Amino acid sequence: MSPLDLLVLSLSLYLIGALATLLFKANEPMAYKLSGVFGAAGGVVGVVLALGALLSGEVNVYQLPSPFYFADLIVRIDLLGAFMIGVISLIVIAASIYSLSYMQEYEGKGAWAMGFFLNLFIASMVALVVCDNAFYFIVLFEAMSLASYFLVIGEQSEKGVKAGLQYFLYAHGGSVLIMIAFFLMYREAGSLNFDAFRQLSLDPTMASIVFLLAFFGFGAKAGIITLHGWLPQAHPAAPSHASALMSGVMVKVGVFGIIKVGIDLLGADLLWWGYMVLAFGAVSSVLGVLYALAEHDIKRLLAYHTVENIGIILMGVGVGMIGLASGNDVIAALGLLGGLYHLLNHAVFKGLLFLGAGSMIYRVHTKDMDSMGGLGKLMPYTAIAFLIGTMAISALPPLNGFVSEWFIYQSLISMSKTGDLLMTSLAPVAVIMLALTGALACMCFVKVYGICFAGAPKTQAAAKATEVPLCMNIGTMMLALMCIILGIGSPWIAPVISSVAAELVNSQAIVVQQGAALVPVDGTQAILSTPVIAVTLIALLMVPAAILRLFRGQKMARRVAGDPWACGYAVEDRMTVSAGSFTSTLRAMYEPLYRIRNILNPANRLLQGLTKTKQGASQLEPQLDNRVVMPTVRLVQALARRVQVLQRGDFRVYCMYIVVALFVLLIIPVELGVN
Amino acid sequence: MQGLQMPSPEWIALAIIQAFIMLSLAPLVTGGTRVLRAKMHSRQGPGVLQDYRDIGKLLRRQELAPHPTGFVFRWTPTVMIVTMLLVGMALPTVTNQSPFPIAGDIITDIYLFAIFRFFFSLAGLDSGSIFAGLGASREVTLGVLVEPILMLSILVMVLIAGSSDLGLISTHVATQSMAVPGAMILAGLACAFVIFIEMGKLPFDCAEAEQELQEGPLTEYSGSGLAMIKLGLGLKQVVVAQLFIALFIPFGKATELTIPALGLATLVLLAKLFVIFLIAGVIENSVARTRFVKTHHLTWVGFGVAVLAFIFFLTGL
Repeated sequence: MSPLDLLVLSLSLYLIGALATLLFKANEPMAYKLSGVFGAAGGVVGVVLALGALLSGEVNVYQLPSPFYFADLIVRIDLLGAFMIGVISLIVIAASIYSLSYMQEYEGKGAWAMGFFLNLFIASMVALVVCDNAFYFIVLFEAMSLASYFLVIGEQSEKGVKAGLQYFLYAHGGSVLIMIAFFLMYREAGSLNFDAFRQLSLDPTMASIVFLLAFFGFGAKAGIITLHGWLPQAHPAAPSHASALMSGVMVKVGVFGIIKVGIDLLGADLLWWGYMVLAFGAVSSVLGVLYALAEHDIKRLLAYHTVENIGIILMGVGVGMIGLASGNDVIAALGLLGGLYHLLNHAVFKGLLFLGAGSMIYRVHTKDMDSMGGLGKLMPYTAIAFLIGTMAISALPPLNGFVSEWFIYQSLISMSKTGDLLMTSLAPVAVIMLALTGALACMCFVKVYGICFAGAPKTQAAAKATEVPLCMNIGTMMLALMCIILGIGSPWIAPVISSVAAELVNSQAIVVQQGAALVPVDGTQAILSTPVIAVTLIALLMVPAAILRLFRGQKMARRVAGDPWACGYAVEDRMTVSAGSFTSTLRAMYEPLYRIRNILNPANRLLQGLTKTKQGASQLEPQLDNRVVMPTVRLVQALARRVQVLQRGDFRVYCMYIVVALFVLLIIPVELGVN
Repeated sequence: MQGLQMPSPEWIALAIIQAFIMLSLAPLVTGGTRVLRAKMHSRQGPGVLQDYRDIGKLLRRQELAPHPTGFVFRWTPTVMIVTMLLVGMALPTVTNQSPFPIAGDIITDIYLFAIFRFFFSLAGLDSGSIFAGLGASREVTLGVLVEPILMLSILVMVLIAGSSDLGLISTHVATQSMAVPGAMILAGLACAFVIFIEMGKLPFDCAEAEQELQEGPLTEYSGSGLAMIKLGLGLKQVVVAQLFIALFIPFGKATELTIPALGLATLVLLAKLFVIFLIAGVIENSVARTRFVKTHHLTWVGFGVAVLAFIFFLTGL
């Protein structure tokens, strides 16, 4: 099958799933199961498509018949597009399998509608990343935003609807900027095809305007800091497998857009674009994780971590753009490799963490972490999968998060070795911020795992929790396995992603692999072999085992009993550390950074602006009535009353009117000299 | 410059041997510190081998864990020892080259330390004890405070040497130490500051007040688990001290893999270690514990020194 056939097959499976939910609207379990099964099948086809395209390294362009004369329907399955399809499909498989059991929670609350919108949402994303025409791009982008909007307001709670409104505003504000950017390019190119945009050579001012519009437009979707306000509202409101897709995949479409416009279409000509992307990335990563630390609501916390990880991805992309603009292909490819690898990794572990959080919520029925605790023993499979996810997102070797961050570190180090004073002095700032992010993320996920899974249950509901159904476990376990594979298998995966980066840079793929090890271009800077590290760590397990074997007394076995020590007082479940107290010292130390959250977040001002506009509109409407319509009506009525004098009710008077009128009419033509 | 390769069997053997020696020396180092403390307090104190006796006795005792504990609590001592052994294998101790360069990348090492910290504090929370939980919180908070300093001071060295491999940095410093002396000295100061904190010393910690600060997470450990954790913590002290030596004072090392050369280098190394632990012990016992919420005032100073090192590097001093 050609890539196009696979693409069509995958999209059709999603759409059939969506239609099936509509048909089985009355039978909700049937509806969401069908949507899940078809979704997973579409995902599998998508992964096959992505793998085939990535391994063959070919770019396939197809022109399909379009119903609109002004827009050619061009499908371009290039490496970046195939990579994005792979990322999307991978998470879709896990989330769809997961939903088979999880949607039980939503029976009677519109589960069929969620299945419907979810499949539409996925289909529009998959189509979006391979479409090569601005018109269809915008249409699909809107379809994606709208479908996800309905997922956000799915629960119909007051909070959800409010979050949905905010999301709607951000999404459409972003689309407007993107539309303007495309329009500006259309005006120059005379065609809506991306290929025509690629041929353009815009003057620097125009190119910068286009890039800025696209950066902030897509940035709103990606959730870069200052435009992130909707994330912590909208992601928690959607069902967990939908938030896994929104947070793990949809925000990546924002990053994809920035790469598409900045690098693919505009060629990343100017150096300051790269610096701007890098700066936004660095600030987003540190502030994102700091705000996550202060959260008690697990899904809000995870949403803030998305801000952080988007920041890390953008740091890689920024280095890539700096490399491109300064003509240094090696740094460009290295930075993009790091960014794209992290994009894939974040999709996997954030998907896993959202699904894991969903499993907890499924059993404990709250998003408040302080009501959980002790789930590690009650839900062991979920706990292990979640632990792997927390380790991956904290960038602990040899898991996947570490590998991509390692590449970003190496690209930054390479960047500061170039000798250019600005690069030499700015790259280390980014390194420090990345290191700080790493330490903060480590703390944050010690908190998440520690408060939710470790220790004693904090509430009755948590104490009664049991392991979740098989389908949900399969979903989380699959992604946990992917975290391990993407980490330990990195020497074989990095070259594939490197070829995607090379396509963007327009050069030969850089060497990143040396046997079973990763190297940044050559081995003089660093070397890393996650498989060897993993094997060594496992082999070293023999050392503690041997020590225990040699010296441990044989008399009494390990015993788990009794309460933790509480200074001689009786232990109560309340005596454990809470999400708030765990981070209170750090929050005190970083207090000023929390204060700027309100200053940086335009959400409140946006909402205020909206309310004012609404009030203005409601005032304007009566204004029109009072000032224009009513006076006219009154004038006409007054005139009519004056005219009433003529109407006496005596028919002789009326006869006289007729005579007078005839007389006047007979005279006038003569007077005017008509004949 | 020659690129890095997968290590050959001889180098791997050296790596394993040095990791084992570090592990077996760990109780000696902590024991020595206790002796020094006793001398400075003008008391008799235990012998220098006391920590071996303690660990031996604990290993023979039954292990008892409170009921909330799960698998994280159980596996943490093992994870701590294993990660530190891996870093130990990677350190260029008696040679300028890293015997196990696969884990000898400085970024990898910093994140291996993160595994240690991650599980150590997670175990604290997993025990369900409020004291362990607070200790866990402080442990990771301290990590957040020191990681930027460590990264920046090491980054200066990375930029000077043009490589993030420990062995290549070590070689570079040993052969061309006069390139940017100002930056190197300042980076060394900042790094020493971090290493001191990472050893878990006063004013940031006090090992004999076990329910607080970094020792907090092990409140609920007992028996063989406690023994392994003590071993792991001791090993970490040895490893971080050697990390500092490898980066900043990499002199007097073996140039070839022969027994006499390695033996001489080992003696030099032991002397350096002795001096470092002596200095650390003296500082530790001459200061009072700081209030935890004020710690960041101190760490800002460290960060300032690291920034200064970086500025010195930029100006080429």
